[in-house]
Amino acid sequence: MGSRIIGAEAASLIARIHGETTWSVGRRMRHAFASVVARAYPRVIGAAREPSWLFFDLVFPILGMCSIVFLLRSRGVDEAWIGSTILATALLSFWISVVWMMGAQFHWERDSGNLLLYITAPVGLGAIALGMAIGGALGVVIRAVIITLAGVLLFGAKYQVADPLLLALVILAGVAAMYSLGVCLSSVFLISGREADHLGSLLNEPMQLLGGVYAPVRSMGTAGVMALGILPLAPAIDALRQVAVPQLAATGILPVGVELLLLLVMTIVFGVIGRVLLAYIERIGRAGGKLLARAD
Amino acid sequence: MPINAGAAPEVRPFGPLRGGAADAARSLVASARLAWAIEGNWAEPIYLAAFLIVRPLAFLGLFLAVLSIGGTLNVATIGFVVIGQAVFQIVSAALEGPTHALLDDRERYRTIRYIFATPSSLLPVSIGRSLVKASIAGFSALIVICAGMLLGVPMRTGGPDLLLLVAVLPLGLLSVVGLGIVLGGVCVQLRNDAWAYPQAVSSTVFLLCGAIFPLEVLPGPVQNIAAALPITWWIEGLRRALLGTTSPGILGAMPTNDLLLILAVGTAVIWLISPRLFVAGIDRAREKGYLDRNTAS
Repeated sequence: MGSRIIGAEAASLIARIHGETTWSVGRRMRHAFASVVARAYPRVIGAAREPSWLFFDLVFPILGMCSIVFLLRSRGVDEAWIGSTILATALLSFWISVVWMMGAQFHWERDSGNLLLYITAPVGLGAIALGMAIGGALGVVIRAVIITLAGVLLFGAKYQVADPLLLALVILAGVAAMYSLGVCLSSVFLISGREADHLGSLLNEPMQLLGGVYAPVRSMGTAGVMALGILPLAPAIDALRQVAVPQLAATGILPVGVELLLLLVMTIVFGVIGRVLLAYIERIGRAGGKLLARAD
Repeated sequence: MPINAGAAPEVRPFGPLRGGAADAARSLVASARLAWAIEGNWAEPIYLAAFLIVRPLAFLGLFLAVLSIGGTLNVATIGFVVIGQAVFQIVSAALEGPTHALLDDRERYRTIRYIFATPSSLLPVSIGRSLVKASIAGFSALIVICAGMLLGVPMRTGGPDLLLLVAVLPLGLLSVVGLGIVLGGVCVQLRNDAWAYPQAVSSTVFLLCGAIFPLEVLPGPVQNIAAALPITWWIEGLRRALLGTTSPGILGAMPTNDLLLILAVGTAVIWLISPRLFVAGIDRAREKGYLDRNTAS
């Protein structure tokens, strides 16, 4: 017969268990912050340790950019469009990161067995997703800068930024809205099973077209205007074009201020939806035992 | 009881090119069926069809939207881009196919070692996988061409030039598959990002081969490289067979007979070299133990 804990000793033990498992808001915040930093770290530092990743992250967008620039030159269009194409390619590198390094990430983590570790660790999936987003965005910044510099050097593009603060705000709002959408996508990819890779492919070129990345969204008609309200790429690139390439300001669909507001709303709405979706997949994953563990 | 071994078993030479023509043909057919099961069985047919339709049409829409920045598009320009974009679907699939098949078998399904334990050889297996990927991409190409026709692209009067089509289509396809298997033999040696190299090559070829813009737009020396690619002439040959017109500039200046000759010679050279390079690559990978490698990339 085992020993029994009674009286003051039992009360002390209960208090100790409560103390260790019931965290204050402050402690939870500190823990979440540490989790975010821990997940962001490999995105920034780890990526820098693998030069081949940097190489391919740059080669594909630059080749794509060259194709569009040569296509534009074959039509003899205003050189301002070349500058716009370079900026669009830089912004697109964030979108690619959102699709593959946010959307598809939990799907890959499940296949590699890491997702179960996340679930068993005292870390919320929300903090993990936020860490992925912050680390991913920071990691892509340097790639976007290199792509822009390469474009300027290769094609002699010129920019006239009258308000650098507004430009920074547009980029920040655009990136925040895209990564916020990425949190939602991570749940969608996880649920989509083996269609995930193909889903990722479908989120590239079709979204570039709908988002008016290389040509104004106006050319897409109603679908393009609708994209302004739901696809962060669309208002982000439209605002960026108006702020950094004033010659093309007339092609803008909405005033920059309105587009900034749209991006802010998207960041909040996608963030909330993403949080709900993450909680949902965690709940059904734990209950069903299939969603979070690798198939084999 | 004594064991009678009977006739001595056939001794097969060791290495990727084992077995006779029959083994190779069986391997090719089996790998093609397997490739269809992998490439076509990942979703319900309706989703597969949507995927095969949406992405190439989005690509086409993207290029046409960019072209429309320069003013109203004429149907000749749309036709040039439509055929180039359509054919490049096949080029891309055939270039990337063998490498992705090898890496899939090595790292995802972990079956590459078992192929060595059978009379199959990796060369026909890779060709079979590549041809099926190219055929599936051919469906996307047809969709793009149909979209072009809906946009008013004038096709050749009296239908496609079948004689030219029959001459050009297999030559070009063979040349691309040949280049694809060389890439496969090279990429299986790599530790990092082996999956990405074929895509990088494919993107570079897309830039060079005049698929969506005339070669004259490229810088001078790069035009010479572009003109040396059989893929450039394959796309131009198919444009002539389907549209019945020649492209502007350097591409259009080449007489069709010369174009066929360049394509035939290019394909012959590629097939003279590519199986040897593939075999050498696979042999090296086997010696170094790379066929069991998992790069987790």
